[in-house]
Amino acid sequence: MPVSPEEINLVIDAIKSYSPYDFSDYSIKSFTRRIEKALIDFRLDIDKLVTDIKENPEFVEKLVKGITVNTTELFRDPNVWQTLRYRVLNKFSSYRKINIWHAGSSTGQEVYSMLILLNEMGLLEKANVFATDINTDVLNKAKAGEYTYRFNLEYFDNFNKVIRENPFNFEDFEDIPYEKYFDIDQVKDVITVKDFLRKKPVWFKHDLVNEGNIFNTKFDLILCRNVLIYFNTDLQNHVINTFYKSLFRNGALMIGVHESIIGAIANNFNKSGLVYIKKD
Amino acid sequence: MSYKYIVIGGSAGSFQTVTSILAALPKTFNMPIFLCLHRLKHVRSGFVEALSIKSNINVVEPSDKEVVRQRNAYLAPANYHMYFELGNYISLSTEPAVNHSRPSIDISFASAAYAYKSKLIGILLSGANGDGAYGMKQVKENGGLTIVQDPEECQVKTMTSAAIKATQIDHILTSDQIVDFLVNLKK
Repeated sequence: MPVSPEEINLVIDAIKSYSPYDFSDYSIKSFTRRIEKALIDFRLDIDKLVTDIKENPEFVEKLVKGITVNTTELFRDPNVWQTLRYRVLNKFSSYRKINIWHAGSSTGQEVYSMLILLNEMGLLEKANVFATDINTDVLNKAKAGEYTYRFNLEYFDNFNKVIRENPFNFEDFEDIPYEKYFDIDQVKDVITVKDFLRKKPVWFKHDLVNEGNIFNTKFDLILCRNVLIYFNTDLQNHVINTFYKSLFRNGALMIGVHESIIGAIANNFNKSGLVYIKKD
Repeated sequence: MSYKYIVIGGSAGSFQTVTSILAALPKTFNMPIFLCLHRLKHVRSGFVEALSIKSNINVVEPSDKEVVRQRNAYLAPANYHMYFELGNYISLSTEPAVNHSRPSIDISFASAAYAYKSKLIGILLSGANGDGAYGMKQVKENGGLTIVQDPEECQVKTMTSAAIKATQIDHILTSDQIVDFLVNLKK
């Protein structure tokens, strides 16, 4: 059932007034679609939805979990991870500590991709990895590190491209076993990330829209991929400014392949391929 | 008649038709074209290049919040839904597949219909599922023009037949006729 712009505004206003969340500056089309889906999932009409938002804080938590989008995969966009390996993380090898923030870490696949890559590069010990999301359900799923096997066979193709193969030399192939990082149970259809990876990151609930850098440190690398697409350009700029302030000089920001930094704040970064580097 | 935007949806069996449309349109064709085409999940790159080979028009995969410009064809990127927002720009999303599809034709067509109303032409081509039928209905209800490829000509006619059932279609055309229609549009 299509929801009108006026009705969407009622929902946004109610959430803003009666909860800590604010969706005013979300991309309106996808937000509308998420609300339409929520109406079906919760079997509500708009009036009841707005009433529930006002009267039931627990419902708002459930609704926010339903609105936010959690699509992710292991080594999504292998060329991004090859860039990280050969053009970003390699420059950090002389650092004493490497601080990394996964903003909008969803169910954790990119966090584990990073940890595997760091481990293969011998950098895992030096890394402080923070992973945050607005949705505690996906954070818990990320901490558990359990994913279905058959549905995600593509993970292993991506793993091969980033971890086993060398993009600069097609004859070079290192047969690193998947079992180094995962327990794979084909009967139960489950992949479980090994404990030494699961225990490594610090997982936080964090709202990018309303909270800035809560970590008391700056970062060498921030990953925030396919999160900004849900925000309008004002909010995108607000969040990118948070990232800018949170990066060390020459720190790197990786956003989604089809995301870009628009407007004046782009001048604060040097863009090199897929990477934005904070200027001096 | 003052159509200003074209949205084209297709799936199995549509690649050839899309290629011939892009090949036939002159460089000076000044309406933006939005392409929402299903592709195999693992085919993530090379599609723009394949479509560009014979095209006189610049084919791009848009960035999120990219402003729509004339003389461009915008191809929905693999594994993203492509929306059109009021203010004439594109936004992308990775929310779950709709009709088993991401990009979903329904999403692109419905949001284009809302954003562009009677200035929009919706064209649905060969395909093997029902994606696009709801979107075509939205195009029609918002005052746009609806065209489907003749199901008899389609390699797979599930998609066009579903649209014909779902809403009023203004023209049912072969791919050659679709090309002619578009080429003669701006005279």
